[in-house]
Amino acid sequence: MSIAMILLALAVGCYAVAVLESWAVHGRLSLTRPATSALALLGREQIMPRTPDRLFFESGPVLLLVAGLLSVAVIPLAPGLIITDLAIGALFLNAALAYVLVALIMAGWGPNGAYGMIGGWRFLGQFIAYAMLIVMPITAVAMRAESLSTTQIVLSQAALWNVAYQPIGFVLFVIAAMGVAWLPPIDLPTGGGDLAGGVEAEYTGARLAVLRLARLVIIVALASATVTFYLGGWLGPWLPGWVWTALKTLAVAAGMLALGSRLPRLREAKYLELSWKLGITLALANIFLVGVIALVVPI
Amino acid sequence: MMDLSGARQGLLRGFRGLVAGAMARDLRAFVIPGEDIANARGLDLDAAGLIRAVTPRHANVLLIAGPLPTALADAASVVWAQMPRPRCILALGEVDLGPLPTADVTAEMSQAGLISGLEDLRKLLRNGAFAPDITEFDAPALSERIEYTCPMHPEVVSDEPGKCPKCGMFLVERRVSGAASHGHEGHEGHEGHEGHEGHEGHEGHEKSSTGSTQAEKAHHHADAVTSAEASTSYVCPMHPEVTSDTPGSCPKCGMDLVPQAEAGEHAHQGHHAHHGHGHHAKPASEPTGPYTCPMHPEVTSETPGSCPKCGMDLVPQAEAGGHAHSGHGSHKHHAHTPAQEGQGGHAAHGAHGQQDAHSEHHGHAGHGAAPDIPGIEPHFMSMVELTEGKPVSPDGLVMEWIDAPFGPFFPGLPSGLHMVLTLDGDSVAGAEIRGMEAAALPSGVALEDFAASLADAVPLSPVAMRELACRAAEAATGQTAPKDVLTARAAAVERERIASHLNWLAGLARQAGLAPLGRRAAAMEHRVRTAKADEVAEQATSITSLLHVALNRSLMGPKLTGIGTLQGASEGPVARAAGHASDARHGDGVYDELGFEPITQDEGDAMARLRQRCAEIAQSLDLIAEAGAIAIPVMPRAKGDGHGMATLETPRGPATLHLTLKGGMVSSTHLTTPFAALAAHVPDLIKQMELADALTAIASLDLDPWSASQ
Repeated sequence: MSIAMILLALAVGCYAVAVLESWAVHGRLSLTRPATSALALLGREQIMPRTPDRLFFESGPVLLLVAGLLSVAVIPLAPGLIITDLAIGALFLNAALAYVLVALIMAGWGPNGAYGMIGGWRFLGQFIAYAMLIVMPITAVAMRAESLSTTQIVLSQAALWNVAYQPIGFVLFVIAAMGVAWLPPIDLPTGGGDLAGGVEAEYTGARLAVLRLARLVIIVALASATVTFYLGGWLGPWLPGWVWTALKTLAVAAGMLALGSRLPRLREAKYLELSWKLGITLALANIFLVGVIALVVPI
Repeated sequence: MMDLSGARQGLLRGFRGLVAGAMARDLRAFVIPGEDIANARGLDLDAAGLIRAVTPRHANVLLIAGPLPTALADAASVVWAQMPRPRCILALGEVDLGPLPTADVTAEMSQAGLISGLEDLRKLLRNGAFAPDITEFDAPALSERIEYTCPMHPEVVSDEPGKCPKCGMFLVERRVSGAASHGHEGHEGHEGHEGHEGHEGHEGHEKSSTGSTQAEKAHHHADAVTSAEASTSYVCPMHPEVTSDTPGSCPKCGMDLVPQAEAGEHAHQGHHAHHGHGHHAKPASEPTGPYTCPMHPEVTSETPGSCPKCGMDLVPQAEAGGHAHSGHGSHKHHAHTPAQEGQGGHAAHGAHGQQDAHSEHHGHAGHGAAPDIPGIEPHFMSMVELTEGKPVSPDGLVMEWIDAPFGPFFPGLPSGLHMVLTLDGDSVAGAEIRGMEAAALPSGVALEDFAASLADAVPLSPVAMRELACRAAEAATGQTAPKDVLTARAAAVERERIASHLNWLAGLARQAGLAPLGRRAAAMEHRVRTAKADEVAEQATSITSLLHVALNRSLMGPKLTGIGTLQGASEGPVARAAGHASDARHGDGVYDELGFEPITQDEGDAMARLRQRCAEIAQSLDLIAEAGAIAIPVMPRAKGDGHGMATLETPRGPATLHLTLKGGMVSSTHLTTPFAALAAHVPDLIKQMELADALTAIASLDLDPWSASQ
């Protein structure tokens, strides 16, 4: 039952994010656009590139979707409303997100085209830049909660949300999440201006629909993970828990999209430099600070 | 109702009706020649609510925004071939579509035409997205196609992968040009969808099966074998010592035996290399050890069977040992040199050696002679061997290099600019600009017609071209316009400079992923392009605030600073951004009276160019305010003969026009624009830059290939 409800919530969330993204990209708010676009995509021809790596070409989008769904599995919508409340939930999220990289490289390599291939490579090149900044902030979150269970992590924030408790970690996590979901301004694998769609460039029809859906799922997963780790998950007054989770998730997603349309695409070199030199240093400092605070202040 | 030229096969009913309705509402256009030209020709795509696709693969509308030179029409046909069905063409203005199918909707070249055209397209898509009969489209530019051939029997050619009917090996692909060069048809179904980045598109396009032709071919070959049978004994192509009086398969490698005469013929066809295997022939050893492929030593198996790579029967390892070191050239990578091809010959391999660059990464590089090193298993290929013969980057890394075409319709480049970048990973190892052949300027026409066609040929700065023609004509005829007219004409050029720079800014913003800024700049460009002097003044505040936003956008500095630093340019905004105060307006009497002084920056990088153009926009606003009126140049009446020359600072730098009049008609002209000189800097400028940085650098130059080679 809770699986069905979470999948339903996920579907609604994806649609809402699609509306927001189309607003951010095309400058027009339309509640029906994602539906018409999806329908139109289903009706379009599916073109197979002439000399594809067929296995990678076909399975890349599907694997991406699976990775997104797996990571959603450990996000609590409300107390008890979670697909699987693993004791190592936060770690599982990491493991699931690792497949995003694999899927994207496959999708980039599969069509045997320069733009897609470079898009996939770029994502591989950024691996440390985003992966470390996902893992290290989560470490600090788990330190406070003294648990890797996502439910325990939410409960640990009852007195004070982590966004206030460890703001450095929050900022780093959001930036890294935008990297994982290749959201602008870190949309290097698909950058319209320099790769003409990149990884997405050779996909058409239903395959493109799956790829786009998978990306929406990943955005929702990462936004809800941000909510779980830093914004107190379902915690909030008056409204039911699931409403809080949903509202916060949408707010985070909207924030990421709004940020993206206002910033120029980061240069790959700059992104790596910032992430490695500044980001990882800050993440280490964050872990240290949280450790000290956790020992000294009992909240 | 007319049928849609790019309908998808199927009946329009049930779910498809719903889908067709959705498609009609979800128009995604690939704009040809590009958004910059569309803007300059007065189309406001955002106002029309048109969503643009960055790749033809994601588009269902091919929007042709005005006339195209022939070369671009050919390139447009490739784009069309890439678009998934259902697809349609909207052509605006009088366009010669070249090899493209007739436009589904044609409309006049205006915003109203665009809007009504889109409305008509929606109706067409709703009713005709699917059709029972569809027309195939073959872009003539796509002369390349893929066929499959046997590495051992070059005469075996097939349209589809499979096994050689003669020896059972897997057929390997190769690219050939021209239509069916082997006298076999069967390409009707192929659309040869070429990637616009050059890697050819797709098959599987609801195509009819080519199976029958293939069977026919196989049949032909069978005939050949049969006819030879009468006189000969049979021999294995790989093992000449294996002979037999009857057809059958080789006991060593399982290949079909071929008549002796034919086997001999192969020797002359360049299969000398394979005689190498013959020399290694050992007394038939019992199949006791592990099995391996005679062609692919890395393939081993505990049991007999066929090679997963080439389909040949596996042979006992002891026998194959000899072959393993015989040094086959790589099967498919273009970098191999004759020296790498092992024992020479190998004509068949050479034939498919010329692979398209994009398939290189599938290639297994040369099975060079791997020395047996203790502790390393035999046949292990070190990185050194894998990358042998490949180009080396300045950083010492050895990688496959790819030649990737960018343009002429690449979303991040000026439209019409066609480049081929050699990519070493994602950095640019080399660049080549393919010139754009612009329409030749007419001669033997009246001055007014000449000015009009010059303005059409350079759509990004038509007013400047008209003014240039006007000045040259005045010089030729000895006439001069009154001072206030000259000032108003200069103001028209300045207005165009504002519009042109805004258009450039919109393109830079689109490329950088700043969609809202791009929309704002494009909208402003539309407001300014045809505005009167007082209307321009009204917009001055919002233009200034737009420039402020562009210059102070967070992360804009890190994005552009230090990118594409160019000190060598001698003219135009690019030179002024590097501190050279070269400006054709300087010293021009009209501009002197308006109080013109050249503006310069120091750094000469992309950020300095942004600052420079923003400063020039502000300066032009002041000049227009000072001039007070704007007038489009009117060509003087011409009588008699004469020669005139004029130079004008266009938005991209000084352009010079030589004009000869004979009997009142334009008899010969010569136009020089900044494009060629600036474009010549590009290859050195972007060498060793990361791809995105390279494209940013090119975009910051504001090249106008349309003004090339007049």
